[in-house]
Parts: sequence; C-alpha cells; structure tokens
Amino acid sequence: MAQPLVKKDDDRDDEAEYSPFLGIEKGAVLQEARVFNDPQLDARRCSQVITKLLYLLNQGETFTKVEATEVFFAVTKLFQSRDIGLRRMVYLMIKELSPSADEVIIVTSSLMKDMNSKTDMYRANAIRVLCRITDGTLLTQIERYLKQAIVDKNPVVASAALVSGIHLLQTNPEIVKRWSNEVQEAVQSRAALVQFHALGLLHQIRQNDRLAVSKLVTSLTRGTVRSPLAQCLLIRYTTQVIRESGINTQTGDRPFYDFLESCLRHKAEMVIFEAARAITELNGVTSRELTPAITVLQLFLSSSKPVLRFAAVRTLNKVAMTHPMAVTNCNIDMESLISDQNRSIATLAITTLLKTGNESSVDRLMKQITNFMSDIADEFKIVVVEAIRSLCLKFPLKYRSLMNFLSNILREEGGFEYKKAIVDSIVILIRDIPDAKESGLLHLCEFIEDCEFTYLSTQILHFLGIEGPKTADPSKYIRYIYNRVHLENATVRAAAVSTLAKFGAMVDSLKPRIFVLLRRCVYDSDDEVRDRATLYLNTLGGDGAVVETDKDVKEFLFGSLDIPLGNLETSLKHYEPSEERFDINSVPKEVKSQPLAEKKASGKKPSGLGAPPSGPVSTVDAYEKLLSSISEFSDFGKLFKSSAPVELTEAETEYAVNAVKHIFDRHVVFQYNCTNTIPEQLLENVTVIVDASEAEEFSEALTKPLRSLPYDSPGQTFVAFEKPDGVPAVGKFSNMLRFIVKEVDTSTGEAEDDGVEDEYQLEDLDVVAADYMMKVGVSNFRNAWESIGEDFERVDEYGLGPRESLTEAVSAVISLLGMQPCEGTEVVPNNSRSHTCLLSGLFIGNVKVLVRLQFGIDGPKEVAMKLIVRSEDESVSDMIHEIVASG
Amino acid sequence: MILAVLFANSEGNILVERFNGVPAEERLHWRSFLVKLGADNLKGVKNEELLVASHKSVYIVYTVLGDVSIFVVGKDEYDELALAEVIFAITSAVKDVCGKIPSERLFLDKYGKICLCLDEIVWKGLLENTERDRIRRLVRLKPPTEI
Repeated sequence: MAQPLVKKDDDRDDEAEYSPFLGIEKGAVLQEARVFNDPQLDARRCSQVITKLLYLLNQGETFTKVEATEVFFAVTKLFQSRDIGLRRMVYLMIKELSPSADEVIIVTSSLMKDMNSKTDMYRANAIRVLCRITDGTLLTQIERYLKQAIVDKNPVVASAALVSGIHLLQTNPEIVKRWSNEVQEAVQSRAALVQFHALGLLHQIRQNDRLAVSKLVTSLTRGTVRSPLAQCLLIRYTTQVIRESGINTQTGDRPFYDFLESCLRHKAEMVIFEAARAITELNGVTSRELTPAITVLQLFLSSSKPVLRFAAVRTLNKVAMTHPMAVTNCNIDMESLISDQNRSIATLAITTLLKTGNESSVDRLMKQITNFMSDIADEFKIVVVEAIRSLCLKFPLKYRSLMNFLSNILREEGGFEYKKAIVDSIVILIRDIPDAKESGLLHLCEFIEDCEFTYLSTQILHFLGIEGPKTADPSKYIRYIYNRVHLENATVRAAAVSTLAKFGAMVDSLKPRIFVLLRRCVYDSDDEVRDRATLYLNTLGGDGAVVETDKDVKEFLFGSLDIPLGNLETSLKHYEPSEERFDINSVPKEVKSQPLAEKKASGKKPSGLGAPPSGPVSTVDAYEKLLSSISEFSDFGKLFKSSAPVELTEAETEYAVNAVKHIFDRHVVFQYNCTNTIPEQLLENVTVIVDASEAEEFSEALTKPLRSLPYDSPGQTFVAFEKPDGVPAVGKFSNMLRFIVKEVDTSTGEAEDDGVEDEYQLEDLDVVAADYMMKVGVSNFRNAWESIGEDFERVDEYGLGPRESLTEAVSAVISLLGMQPCEGTEVVPNNSRSHTCLLSGLFIGNVKVLVRLQFGIDGPKEVAMKLIVRSEDESVSDMIHEIVASG
Repeated sequence: MILAVLFANSEGNILVERFNGVPAEERLHWRSFLVKLGADNLKGVKNEELLVASHKSVYIVYTVLGDVSIFVVGKDEYDELALAEVIFAITSAVKDVCGKIPSERLFLDKYGKICLCLDEIVWKGLLENTERDRIRRLVRLKPPTEI
C-alpha cells in the first residue's frame, strides 16, 4: 500500500492547526453529546456535535450498543428545536444510528408528525427516515401516507416514497406490491427523477409478470421518457422483452429494434451507450443490426472523457469475442488507445486488438505491446498474455514472434501468477504447434536457470522430461537440468533427478552419461534426491551399457499410475504394517468420480502446466487405461478416439447418465457413466439395454454390467458393438437403463435384501461420421496441402440450400465432418458473400485428411459449396464426399 | 448497487467512507485498494477529470477535487457511466457547499453539510438525486424550485 491508512487524529504535529477534527476521540464526543439534553438547546453547537459523530462513523468507527442507544435517545430530544438546519442533521443522524426495534418507538410519533406536516421537506425526510428504521407492523400503519406521498405533487416527496418502496420491497414485498396503481401514476410524472424511480420500482413489482412488463415497455417506448436515467432503464427492460419474444418469423424483424436504434441518436451519452450495448448483446444479432451500434461506439473511442473511452472499448471488447470482424473497423482508433494514460483502457484496447487483428498486423501489434507491458500491473499483464496465447493458436505461422515475446516477458520482473500464465502459454503452444517445440523448450530451460518459484521449476522439469527426449538433439537440455541439481532446493533437485532418468530411459546414446550424473546425485544431502537417484540407477540397469531400456521401465517412468490416487490413499490408510507386504494390485481401479471430473474438465480452459501430462491427452489416456483393464475389451486393438460425454438424461433427474463413445477399428464401445441421486436407493446389476435396429451395420458383441450403484457414487456399465472393419458406420441407438432397486435405510445405510427390477428410459445416442475423425491441426496448411499431393484429390460441388448466414453454413459443415479448423478460417467476416475454410484431421485407420471448403451465398440466402479433399487414401477422400452428400 | 463512496486526502487518509452491501471484513481491502489506485494514478490529474477502472465485476470511477480524492464503486446497473453521473453529482455538491475547489481544511470545515449532500445523492446504494440546484436546496430543507 502506498499510503498509511491512519485516521486524522493520528496525523503529524505539523498539521496541528489544520484539521478541525484534530485529536477527536469517541469518548469525548459522546460526552459532548450531552448537550442534546439541555433544556435551552444551542442549535449551532448541537449541529457541530452531530458533525463530529458523523465524522467518527464515516471513518469506520463503531459505537457499542449502549453508546448508540444513549446517543439515539439524546438525538430524539432535538425534535424540540425548530432550527431547520439542525432538523436536517437529526434526520441523518437517526438513519446513521439505525436504532433497534425497541428504540424506534421513541421517534415514531415525532416522525409521523413530520410526515403529515405541511412543510414538504419535513414530509420527504420523515418518510426516508421512517422507511429506513421501520418494521412490518409499523409499515402497515403508515402505508396510507406512503401511497399518498407517491403521487405527491412535490417531486422530492414522491421520490422519497418511491425510493423507500424500492428498499422496502426487499423486506415487505406484499405491502409494496399493493402500491402498483400509485406507482403506475408516478411513471407518468412530469418530474424526471420521479419517473426514473417510479419506473424502477414498477418493474421490480411486476418483473415476474411478462405480459405486464411487455405492456409497460410498449407504452413507454411510444411515449416520452424525461430522464436519461429512466430511458436507460427502459432500454434494459426492452431488451428483456426482446429476449423473451424472439424474432418475428414472418417479416424477419426484431420487435423494438427500431426503438433501440433511435436511442443511438439520443442526446445523453449514457442512453446512447445503453442502446449500443443492448444491440450488441441481442441474441443472434446480425451484422446489419450491429453496424449502427459499432459506429457510435467507434466515435466514443476518441472521446476526451476517459469514462466514455472506457465504456466504448469495454463494449467493443465484448463484441470482439463473438463478432471479431464487426470490430475490425475500429482497429485504428483502438491502436491509438494503447498509449492511453488510463491503463484499464489501454489493456482493454490491446486485448480487443489481439482478438480482431489479422495475421499481417501481428508483428506491428507486438511491437506496440512490448513498450506497454513494462508499465502495467501484473493483473493486466495476465490478461494480455492470455490474449496472446489465443492469438498464437489462431495464427500458428506467427509462433516465432509471439513465442519470442513470451520469452522476453518471462525474463522480466513479475509475480507468480503472471509467470505461471506465461509458462502455461508456452507449454500450450509447444503442445499445439509442433514447429514451436524446440524454441519453446529452450525458452523454458533458460527460465529455470533463474526461476524463483519452486512450483514452476518442478513443473517445467517434468514437462522437459516428457518432451525433451523426443527432440532432434536431446543432449542440449541436459546441462540445464543438471544445473538444477547443483543450484536449487531439494524439491527441485528431486524433480531434476527424475527428468534426467527419463532422458536416460528414452535416449539410449545418452544413457552412459546420464548414469555418471545420477551417480553423483547419490551423495545428495536430501534423502528423497538420493532415493530417486538410487531407484533410477537400478531400474535403468546401473552398469551404464548402451542397451535399450525395458518396456516395463519406460512404463514405470512415463506411464501414469494406473490406479486412482484417492483409492491408493484409502488402501494405504487401511494397510496395517505386518509381514505381508502392501500389494498395489489390491487397490481398486474403478474410477469413482470420473463423470464429475469429466464435466469439470470440459468446462475448463486448457490449463498448461497446472495438470502436466493430463491436458488434452489425459482423458484419452485415462479411457485407454480403463478399457484395457477390462479383459473383455482386450482384443479390440488400439483405441482410436473417445468422444466427449453425451448427456442421456436431463439435469436433476433421479439417475444421471452420460455416455462416451469409444471407437476402435472393428468395434464401438459405449461407456455409460451412471450416478444414482436418490439416498434411499441402492441399484444393483445395472445395465443399459440398447436397441440398435436403426444402426444396421452394428451387432451387439457384449455387455458389461455394473454390479452395484450406491447413492452419489458414480459407476460405469459398458456395451460393445461390432462393426465392419475400418468402415465409418453410422446409426441411432435407443437406450434403456435396467437395474434392480433396493430400499436403503438412510439412518443405518443398510439396504434391504430384496429388490425390484425396474427400468428408466434414456435419450438416444447417435454414432455419426464425425466420431471417426480425430481433430488434428497442422501448423502450416499450405505446406501440408502441398506435401500430401493431389494424387487422391477429390473435388465436387454441393448446394446447401437456404441458410441463415454463411457462418451458420460453415459451422454446420465443420461439425458434420468433426475436423479441426485451421488458421482461424472458421470465422466468417461480416457481410462476406464468399468464404474459404481450411480443415484438417485424422480419419480412422490413421489416415491424414485435409479439406478446403469454398462457400458462396447468393441473394435468397442459398449457399453453395465446393469441397476439395486431399488425403493419403483414395477411399477416405471419397468417404468425406459421401459424408457431406448424405449429411 | 453503489457499493462504496470514499473520500481521502492527498496522503491517503480517509475522510469519508460509506459502504453499502460490502461485508465488514472486505472493507479494509477495498479501502486499501482504492487508496492505492488513487496514489498510482491521480498524480497530476486535473480537477474533476474522471478516471475509471474495473476490478473483477466491479467498476470504479474516481477523481480529484482540490486536496480531496473521491472514489465511487458500483456493480451491476451502476457501471462506469452511472457512476460517472453519481460522481458528477457529488463533485458539484461539494463545490457548491465549499464555494470553490476545496482544500482539505475547507472540506473538513464543511463536513456536516457534505454529509447531508451525500445523504441526498446516495441512499443505501441507490442513486436518489443528481441535480445540483435541488441538492443545494434540499440540504437546507428548502423545497426545489421546480414546483
């Protein structure tokens, strides 16, 4: 913190004559408050004491219950004074003290008197105070006056009653809802603020009545709204109505769009912004609808007021996430904001530019950002790093400059979260862009030479152990790794020893030299480091001969533990030390919480080092392990692909089931992840009865039931189908969950002996062509296209019929084929009449496939498409055409 | 909801702090965050020039007026634009009460009146009044001129 947070009374002596509150002390002020009890009130002095009390309260000082009560009773005496200034202070003071229910009674009569006073200002303030301190019973007594006040001709009185209503609606909704006629009348008030407050309250009263809100919006959008604030509310309520009503299917018009559009020309800036934001957030907004909003926002980018620039760039940043092309027109204005004094604006501008920029502008943008990075806080830097990571994945050809940028900022000062964001980004780029691997690994090596964070060092060492041996020259990483053994703490040293062992295991030529290094580690001061070195020397065959490492050893070093850690922990806890050794094979392999973990993983952004060898590979790995542990599936061969889980039940049903499709060359296995959400039931012998009558090419091979499914403890049952070898057979499967249900006594947790057989209908499951295609990207599409050659090129043209937009057509074809879009070509620029999309993938049988899609749209929204396929296999090229032709 | 209105002097000492719907244990965090924000950015800023920041889903608009820095924090419907309206009402009211751009001493001398103005502008996290003239009259319990 830059400045000490001391109260004024702690100020230095040289300010002695400065503050009127110098040396103020709660006890002394409370003493002074006795002046309120004087028979002859000195209004000026009383006001001064109240000011002091307010000063204390406004600095976060609190009064004890006794102190507060004492002051409160004293303050109530001040109602005797006729001094107007003092009365105003008294109102404020009572609100600040918030008396308890039993004390309120003391002031109610005085306040009720003021509420019926002829002086408007007494009325308004008394209402505000009463509503602040009142409870339900008192409210019914004063309700009559409040209703009158809402339609009072004095706008201050009306506003006081309306704002009271907004607050009271939280605590006493039934009472406030009875005022809707008066509030409705107040909405028509000529006073701007009354209208604003009334509109806010009326909407809150009626927010659950769609028809009423719709009527309110319809009448107000036709009439006049006086206050810009009320106009903003109206725009918000209008968007709510639009959201609920959808587009007029006959005319294609969106109701109230014209109103929103007209608000873009309002004289108040806040109304313009509200309307622009409302338009950009419309569901399925078209580029025609978007354009006027973007135009006004663009004008505000060069406003002299920082708040307006911030509001504009914040809105455009949001638009850029869904419609990047719509924002590109603003790029020049946005670039000038990179040097904005206000760092929040500059950061938003940069992240927007990173989302909307094209390949040619990347280098220029990086130069600008480099200057900017040095003077922003870590939290902004993390946002920028994340944006750069997405940009690099979008334009893999630009990896060099983006990777250089990341490595440069990695060398500069920064906290843990920031450094972790950079390292995570580099790791993701290494994984997704093969060309970036070598340089990325070297950047990470340089970073660990001077890394102050143990966590990051160990994670990088682990990653190096997996990726380093696969590079062209693994020996160049050894120096960096072995340096850790000399220079770092025990945790990092132990990680370095494991990494060295991995190099030894994978690169036979390096083995003798690795042994020399490992032998040195045997003398380390830390036992874990010594133990690891000894273990690896033994497992790798410590004589140092250049021999190939055993498969088992590799499995030990690189394979993940094929039992869930949770299960291992439980088994170890139950193990009693005895002559009998702990047997790791006795640990159950059933993955209990898998469905939950999958759900979490799918919602998460790709995490770099956070989950080292997990990441995208891990689920496939886990599935592979799971399936290979089931003997019935052992002869199915290698798993080609596993789909994401498909939900077969609605949310919050008795039994939650989702299915994963595992594709093999000659088989398809459905893995049903089941969860029983009823504590009073135990399910046994759980199977899924699959009807494959609409999947002719499939024949059921076997079913693996789940023996028992207790409450909230997920389990899996499997059904396997045979299909013709290598053929991407498709079909629809209907599913029925069948089980024996047993009652459970929840107090003892014991189930009854007898059960009843029952069934539960699940949703259908489809196997589609895309299930046979693995999304595998290429870093340079043109090179890949050329190197695969035109031997098996197949070209044809298709009419896709009328489509909403080109974007919709492009994404439909992408999801039909299940391929990986390359170079950001899945995004269609606004207003485009034609578009080319590049896809790549690996078809079942490990056949590389590349696709160029050329789309064109004509007037009545008829979309035509030219499909060019190149692959390593003639029949696969034909198959892709068949998929499109039949899709 | 307007989560906080905070006044600090040029050294970062708190003059007024009013929180709405902010748990007591988070107030210290907000206080230090805002004071640091001001220390980092308000140097050399012209009187009443608005600065803006966002922290998670919360917006902050702040400015300097003489010796006093003013911060307003809001969320949901009180975004940067609504807060700009609030802070404009506050700065106008403070100038009116003080008769000029306030020194710290002048601000403290008029402390009671300033509290009344705040009471008219923000009521438990909701914006109540924005018009300068009306606020000036209301703190003296005078009816507004418009009726």
